[in-house]
Amino acid sequence: MLNAIDKELLKGVADLEDIPKGAYNIRKNGELMGREVSANINIETNEAGNGIIITIKPGTQNESVHIPVILSQAGLHDVVYNTFIIGEDSNVTIVAGCGIHCGSSQSEGHSGIHEFRIGKNAQISYVEKHLAIGEGEGKRTLNPTTKIFMEENAHAEMELTQIGGVDEAKRMNEAELGPGCSLLVSEKVLTDGTQNAESKNELILKGEDSRANLVSRSVIRGDSNQDFFVQLTALAKCFGHIECDAIIMDNGTNQTMPALKAEHPGAELTHEASIGKIADDQLIKLMSLGVSYDDAVNKIIQGFLQ
Amino acid sequence: MLELKNITFTAPGTDVEPPRTIIDRLSHTFETGKLYAVTGPNGSGKTTVAKIIMGINAQASGSVLFEDRDISDWSISERAKAGIAYAFQHSARFKGITFRDLLAISLGTDDEDKLVEIIARVGICSMDFLDKPVDAKLSGGEIKKIELATVIATNPKLAIYDEPDTGIDLWTIDPMVELLKKEKEQYGTTTIVVSHNRTFLEAADQLILLRRGKIAYSGDLEGALPMLRDLSICTFTDTCEGVADVECYR
Ligand SMILES: Nc1ncnc2c1ncn2[C@@H]1O[C@H](COP(=O)(O)OP(=O)(O)OP(=O)(O)O)[C@@H](O)[C@H]1O
Ligand SMILES: [Mg+2]
Repeated sequence: MLNAIDKELLKGVADLEDIPKGAYNIRKNGELMGREVSANINIETNEAGNGIIITIKPGTQNESVHIPVILSQAGLHDVVYNTFIIGEDSNVTIVAGCGIHCGSSQSEGHSGIHEFRIGKNAQISYVEKHLAIGEGEGKRTLNPTTKIFMEENAHAEMELTQIGGVDEAKRMNEAELGPGCSLLVSEKVLTDGTQNAESKNELILKGEDSRANLVSRSVIRGDSNQDFFVQLTALAKCFGHIECDAIIMDNGTNQTMPALKAEHPGAELTHEASIGKIADDQLIKLMSLGVSYDDAVNKIIQGFLQ
Repeated sequence: MLELKNITFTAPGTDVEPPRTIIDRLSHTFETGKLYAVTGPNGSGKTTVAKIIMGINAQASGSVLFEDRDISDWSISERAKAGIAYAFQHSARFKGITFRDLLAISLGTDDEDKLVEIIARVGICSMDFLDKPVDAKLSGGEIKKIELATVIATNPKLAIYDEPDTGIDLWTIDPMVELLKKEKEQYGTTTIVVSHNRTFLEAADQLILLRRGKIAYSGDLEGALPMLRDLSICTFTDTCEGVADVECYR
């Protein structure tokens, strides 16, 4: 059922060698390619027929669901609306991601709108990788939107990675945290050539003792550009931290704008941001251990984005 | 095994300052398998010399000979491959690189057995250091231990440690001195330790005292004692001159 290109894409975005175990939904070129549900995880097509609803039963423990999207059809722009309903007290890993293979001069793209409703005391780990490969000249576009609503004491870790090959990316992350919730977002983006990536983030700390931590790491090669915006708003006694580092190589350009907004006296918000070349002392240390300049650069970038 | 010939290093001038000679026609010969301690006042040029040997600083004139080859224009990587290693006084901090990663680079393999072996050989780093990120969160002592381990892991012929004892706890200083002695004895490592710590000075086969970019003394510790006690070594007198309220209390 899976051809060589499909396999390469699935490996790249979901670390899958073949059809996954447990619940999954694989979408290829805008159509359902395969689906499996489990006793605790249900997947169904939504009413409008333009996405899926994934429902995790309350109390589900240590299960995972894979929902990769692969695209290899010239000229296709796929838009999906996926909803995740995460039951109370559950603990799940969700692996999403989109792989594009572009073999022609026609453009291809995917826009995934993911909405998460995370119940009380639930914990999720969400891993999303974006990758584009192929010899074609066509423009590859990926515009993901993630909306997260967290009820009391929910915990979410979101790992968002754009590995390479994506020409144009516009990401939007929104989150609302209830009391006692914690959210960790880590975003890693590598651009090269004339690629452009934009990431807009709006995190609202609504509940008392909620915590948000956003870590963004960008590597900007060639003549590419990345813009990163984040606004952290505190409406209660809470803790929030933003850390964004951009490494510029070649002639890359970057804009990083972290913004903090406190509407409650108990808010504790901090940010660190840096833009610059690879630090000399890091390069020199690695070279003094016997690696060449180029290998030192690669190792530092690999570590930074891993 | 290492010969410094007439080395001069000049710091580039700025708009307000003229260029400054940091190392002044320095020459010295280091013999295989000996432990050298280099000491001297802050700013006397110890780190500068160490970095010239590693190829991090380029001397204005003079040459560096390693195992009878002139390595003056070799890159840092080439010198490392030839067997020179340097433990930095101020270690680099990374993002996303762990102690394991650095050790694997030093060793040239990420084989778990080899990593464990090297940690056992170094002795002063515990196993649970392995997956620690080498970032700004490490304590001063922890980063020093890691720095030292990465140098030993390269199996150097010439190891230079720049103030390896800064921030190291009382319980680790002696084991660290023993470690460097053992490395010297078992592997014949020529060792240069820059330090202000008497324990290192006592452990050395030869002591080198640097002052204002020149070797003021080289020989055994006993011979250096009068100079180490001598207040004129204190460079504060230079900085304090002309400042009415300042006295030298050394
Ligand atoms: N690249 C450089 N540019 C300008 N000045 C420099 C440079 N490198 C070293 N210096 C100066 O040279 C002098 C010697 O520095 P060095 O770091 O070698 O001293 P040190 O003996 O190692 O001191 P410490 O005991 O404090 O570590 C200092 O005054 C320092 O500011
Ligand atoms: Mg120094």
